[in-house]
Amino acid sequence: MASAQNFTISGSVKDSTNGEDLYGASVQVKELANVGALTNAYGFYSLTLEQGSYTLVFRSSGFETKERKIELNEDLTINIELDIPKDVQELGAVIVNAEKENKNITSSGMNVTKFDPKEIETLPVLFGEKDIMKTLQLTPGVKGAGEGNAGFFVRGGGADQNLILLDEAPVYNASHLLGFFSVFNSDAIKDVALYKSGIPAEYGGRASSVMDVKMRDGNNKKFGASGGIGLIASRLTLEAPIVKDKGSFIISGRRSYADLFLKLAPNEDQRNTTLYFYDLNMKANYRLGEKDRIFLSGYFGRDKFGFSDVFGFNWGNATGTLRWNHIINNKFFSNTSIIYSNFDYEFTIGQGEDGFGVVSSIQDWNVKQDFSYFINSNNTLKFGVNGIHHTFKPGALTGGNESFNAIVLNQRYGLEVSAYIQNEQKIGSRINMMYGLRYSGFNLMGEGKAYDFNEFGNIVDQRDYASWESIKYYQGLEPRISASYVLTEKNSVKVAYNRNLQYIHQLSNATTSSPTDVWVPSSNNVKPQIADQIAAGYYHNFKQNTYKLSTEIYYKSLLNQIDYRNGAQTVLNDLVEGELVYGKGRAYGIEFQLQKKKGKFTGWLSYTLSRSLRTFDDIDNGREFSARQDRIHDISVVLMYKLSDAIALSASWVYYTGDAVTFPSGKYEIGGVTVPQYTERNGYRMPDYHRLDLGLTWYMKETKRFEHNINFSVYNAYNRENAYTITFQQDPDDPTKTQAVQTTLFKIIPAVTYNFNLK
Amino acid sequence: MKKIAYILGLIVLASSCQKVIDVDLNESSQVIVIEGNFTAKDSTVRVKISLTSSYFNSDPSMTVDNALVSITDGNGVVSVVPSIGNGVYELTSYDPTFDMEYTLTVNGFGEVYTAKCNLVTPVALEPITYQFFDGFFGAEGGYAAFMNFNDPAGVENYYLAVLGLNGEVFDNIDEVFLQNDQLTDGNFIQRPLFANDFFDIGDTVFMELRAVDKIAFDYTSELQSIAGGSNSAAPGNPTTNWNNGALGFFNAYGVSQDTVIIQ
Repeated sequence: MASAQNFTISGSVKDSTNGEDLYGASVQVKELANVGALTNAYGFYSLTLEQGSYTLVFRSSGFETKERKIELNEDLTINIELDIPKDVQELGAVIVNAEKENKNITSSGMNVTKFDPKEIETLPVLFGEKDIMKTLQLTPGVKGAGEGNAGFFVRGGGADQNLILLDEAPVYNASHLLGFFSVFNSDAIKDVALYKSGIPAEYGGRASSVMDVKMRDGNNKKFGASGGIGLIASRLTLEAPIVKDKGSFIISGRRSYADLFLKLAPNEDQRNTTLYFYDLNMKANYRLGEKDRIFLSGYFGRDKFGFSDVFGFNWGNATGTLRWNHIINNKFFSNTSIIYSNFDYEFTIGQGEDGFGVVSSIQDWNVKQDFSYFINSNNTLKFGVNGIHHTFKPGALTGGNESFNAIVLNQRYGLEVSAYIQNEQKIGSRINMMYGLRYSGFNLMGEGKAYDFNEFGNIVDQRDYASWESIKYYQGLEPRISASYVLTEKNSVKVAYNRNLQYIHQLSNATTSSPTDVWVPSSNNVKPQIADQIAAGYYHNFKQNTYKLSTEIYYKSLLNQIDYRNGAQTVLNDLVEGELVYGKGRAYGIEFQLQKKKGKFTGWLSYTLSRSLRTFDDIDNGREFSARQDRIHDISVVLMYKLSDAIALSASWVYYTGDAVTFPSGKYEIGGVTVPQYTERNGYRMPDYHRLDLGLTWYMKETKRFEHNINFSVYNAYNRENAYTITFQQDPDDPTKTQAVQTTLFKIIPAVTYNFNLK
Repeated sequence: MKKIAYILGLIVLASSCQKVIDVDLNESSQVIVIEGNFTAKDSTVRVKISLTSSYFNSDPSMTVDNALVSITDGNGVVSVVPSIGNGVYELTSYDPTFDMEYTLTVNGFGEVYTAKCNLVTPVALEPITYQFFDGFFGAEGGYAAFMNFNDPAGVENYYLAVLGLNGEVFDNIDEVFLQNDQLTDGNFIQRPLFANDFFDIGDTVFMELRAVDKIAFDYTSELQSIAGGSNSAAPGNPTTNWNNGALGFFNAYGVSQDTVIIQ
């Protein structure tokens, strides 16, 4: 029997207004139920079908759907540009959801939280600075590390267990101003995806989650400028074609100006204070032909604190990605990247002869090769390899003053290698699966020293290693599986398992995240962290997909967790590994989210019930204790309402159980002072946290080429005094008494931001 | 416009606030607290034994007077430290031997506790120097006084420095200055010790340099970090040289002193 011949349709899907690639756009075959393809991160799709006549339906969130009739007698290339609906374009903001509305039910990929910065631009935020990381923290299973802290915890994992990627480059410290803002300037960002479980095999290196941030490519049709002026910072973005429809660039900058206010202060010392941060995002892409495309993207950001010549502190990230997309054939897509990433901080005290400084950094060079092979409409195979060379410079002290000896801590070098293979498979009309395997290894290498410690953390031996000589090698396999079963058009169940290995670790001991929290590699003392997670979910859509309910349940086990010994000395300490203790953890929980994405009134309500626990032999005699982020109840409500074409209102409310914290259970006198006595780690709770934020966006009269709006927001609208810290101390007025003092960081804060867009 | 910008800046910077709150703390069982000092300067062993109390209790802490306290030198010679009441035990005319490990033993509160500490050879202070500084940070100018000494090369040294002014000695454990030679091994050390303000002409400045065992240095450092209210995510009791769960520490140390009148 002669079977009909197969042909392949491939091509790209783009935004017609600016030529941006559309990621995750669907290409469905109208005549065949449940047959289709999705575009990859570069807008490329490939779909193989039997010879015949078909209607292809191209859809993407926020765009008008397009249909194209084809006669499939040969391999076809179809490049499509999707339009933004007219009425929405004029409004400039609110999203019409044109993606296949029950995609959440039918897709295999479980638990991916995805945002386009535009979807959330009306939400109220601190000081009116749009912040994608703060918005992610309003979704179930993601908990902010607290006010004044850009770190976040995913499903009970630590803040260093999140892989934060900006155009594939790891970002080691994603915060500005000691954590009040993230480094991601929303104007430069195309989209953000957060994987909490069922993490695809292409990602690795962190135990708990992946936050994949993609920068915009820039308008390849015409010049555009957009920006904003806010209370804390201003932004400006310029984009233009290099050659129309062939290449484009985007440059986006942001700078804060709190220090400019200080310049106006009456006190000279305040005027001499430096306090600002800046971000610069740049990206260019160019199409070399039908099959090749080059991207170059970079990020530079820095925070600077200083006081005259007396004291200076600055830190920042720099990343760079050079990427080559190559279409080997209409089924086979290749992506080659060379990635650089650097984070460093510097302290300076004094100047000239009497001055000295401390510098510390972590630097990566990363080579990555990924392939996608679109076998047929039911199978998409991905595989690739990756090698990262890490250089850890934990600290060097240089100084002019004679009483200081310059000190350079042992530098450490690590080579992290990985290879993965993964298949995404449709089985019948109901089952979607993604299964993959990742191999990863880590080689800690010389040149350098390795130390051995006894059980009390005192050094017992040290050895010298030559350049590239292996000090310790770790390796492991990381299986990743997720599957969904579609019950009806309206509901489905999904399950996932993943194992993640983490070879580099951030040591943090303070209540606030600090740029000086050091990253250390796995070594003869520090073992790789291992996370195993199983998760299951039930998804149900109501009222023609107007309401979406998701319920997810998970259990996560964490091995080789790291904590400090009491009173650890962490700065400029070559023997910091002797200050560490090791243990294990577990986290489990259930997450509910009810979302409304259609209509004038949109938003979501989420509730998480979860625990996160740790056990360390050296802490509390091995008794299990709550991790700091063990917030049992966590509720977020996000509401957006389009009052008219000119006015959009928004509100968000959060409530969570206070962080687990160590308080004293008694006191005693020693050396003439009264000090607290501690009996158990994290045995107490901070007061419950809750806060309401309100926002109003006024879209002003616009012209064909110019649109602008003003965003008013109120942070902490009912002026709740949430506890930032609680400190136990002797009463300054009566030394016989002791007291607990609560510090509140932010009371009610109004803000206003002006945004414009020159199209 | 300038004014508006300045006011906005102030709103941002002045939003935070502090207040005293009530916190419901657990009652934990009482634990023995032993503070032992063997000061080579006056050849005296002083031990103070008390008990912990609940955190918000404002009564003086309870003392332990019926313990048996003794000190054992590196040769195994045991000397009793007699009680002089009010939780204090004192042994005078106990001659020090430097670089010897001493063991303090306390039998009381239903348990025997021991702690070991090395009596470190003192490091001699050079004469105190002082210098006039113009005021900054809005403060008035005045004299800063410097502690001077030669750090012995090739060995780890740990120091606690104590400042005195016009007869008053600031030797509470949260007032002593910490100095080690991690970054300064073998150097001539010149370090200013500050009271709350600069010194004036006519002030009598006293400095005492205690050469201490690492355990006493670490204890003091950890204690200082929790005494003033800690921002550590995991504060704990300082690492002590006492066994069996006793709080406090035993410190044997050599001393060098100097005094100067600023003129």
